[in-house]
Amino acid sequence: MKFTSPNDTDIRIRAMLVRDFKIDPSSLRLDSRLEDLGVDSIGMAELIFNVEDEFGLKLPDVAVQLSTLAEVIGFIDNALAEQRAAAAGPHPAEAVPGAT
Amino acid sequence: MRRVAVTGIGLVSPLGHCAAEVFERARSGRSAVRQLEIPGAHRLLAPLAATVEFDGAEHFEPPQFRLLDRGSQFAVVAARRALADAGCGLLSDQERGRAGVFLGTGMGGTMSIDDGYQTLYGDNSDRIKPMMILKGMHNAPAAWIGIELGWLGPNLTYSTACSSSSVAIGEAWLRLASGSLDVAIAGGSEAPLSLGSLKAWEAMHTLAKVDFANPATSCKPFARNRSGMVLGEGAALVVLEPWDHALARGAAIHGELLGYGLTNDAGHIARPSVEGQAAAMAAALASAGIAADQVDSINAHGTGTQANDVAETAAIKRVFGARAPRLPISATKALHGHLLGAAGALEFVLALLALKHQVALPTMHLAIPDPDCDLDYVGGVARVGAAGRTMVTNSFAFGGSNAVLALRAAD
Repeated sequence: MKFTSPNDTDIRIRAMLVRDFKIDPSSLRLDSRLEDLGVDSIGMAELIFNVEDEFGLKLPDVAVQLSTLAEVIGFIDNALAEQRAAAAGPHPAEAVPGAT
Repeated sequence: MRRVAVTGIGLVSPLGHCAAEVFERARSGRSAVRQLEIPGAHRLLAPLAATVEFDGAEHFEPPQFRLLDRGSQFAVVAARRALADAGCGLLSDQERGRAGVFLGTGMGGTMSIDDGYQTLYGDNSDRIKPMMILKGMHNAPAAWIGIELGWLGPNLTYSTACSSSSVAIGEAWLRLASGSLDVAIAGGSEAPLSLGSLKAWEAMHTLAKVDFANPATSCKPFARNRSGMVLGEGAALVVLEPWDHALARGAAIHGELLGYGLTNDAGHIARPSVEGQAAAMAAALASAGIAADQVDSINAHGTGTQANDVAETAAIKRVFGARAPRLPISATKALHGHLLGAAGALEFVLALLALKHQVALPTMHLAIPDPDCDLDYVGGVARVGAAGRTMVTNSFAFGGSNAVLALRAAD
């Protein structure tokens, strides 16, 4: 895996995993499978729930399939970017058909 | 049928956290009922409860703690204490397959469910926490005990309202006595002190009014000025095993569970039935193989409601006849409140301790006798030397399931 310095999301997610799931910080690598560290599917639902509070995000009410820490970080960053874009104004592709 | 010994006691109760402390407090009649301080308590007509001094975070690591309703926390901690008291150590793989968990709860994870409803209706938010089902389900406390102990036999939850934990202990006894299990942990757990639950009990007009002279005395079983019950929280669990097993491993035996009577009123959903209660006591005696005149004292269901205390008095007279007025009858709910699905188990433990210490426990706050409750309730002061060797302990319930346990001192 290519080395990247941890971004803000990375740091905050790791802190949540250590706090809520008692995961040893040294065992948390970007390619760690969270299930191997004790975050099962229900734990993932709870992690996502807490992420909404922690990051001020509203995520879609669908079960997400995320297995590694890198995927979780990517998912959150993506959602944050979408939320910022939505706040900046509607994307033309999202305009309601027939509204014009 | 095999004889069944009680070899472990585990308590998380309003009267304390170990048997000696709980017994001493019950013996000296010091009430745990107090003013309840929860958000919204000002909306209660009588903000009273018997609460437990307990911080679950001290007992569980965060990954497990987040999954546990307060009632499950009580149950697991009480189970640890019961197992430690029994000193039975880790079981072999084969033994674990013949080890069962039998737990009673009336209201399950009602605090977690109340929390979810607060989100949904109070906050008008759809953000229900993902753990609400797992925390709220009635069988969670028993399941967590099974997980912690690694016991592979039956893991059962009984919910017959206020008789739940007596049913749990009785059903465990049946399996141990018949030989289908070799060890059981049995009892009840209840954490019912959410605002929603308290308001619902209040709406039924079953809760005691505050005695402003001394709120701790608000629950007054068998007294003429009784006005209802006070809710309590906590857990009580016992380790049960065949008598011969207990002797063989040199266990300290707290007492013997002799028998269990279970009847159903099949009448009114809430009104107690003298016939049903009397039949349950008679069934317990029959199952124990003892006659009514071998019973030395009684732990009453004694809720402090108008209906229960009169019906129970009449039922005791029906079963024990001319001896009824001479039997010491203790109603300890005056002190620890009504633990609903854990009440029977806590009172079973108090009955065991009464026999062990040879003390009939007092029924407190009984300054004004009720002409319709005219038996010997050991009012106000414990009676040393009066418990005898054999007791029955009563648990009756909304829904009509009456459960009675018969027990005897160890020696």
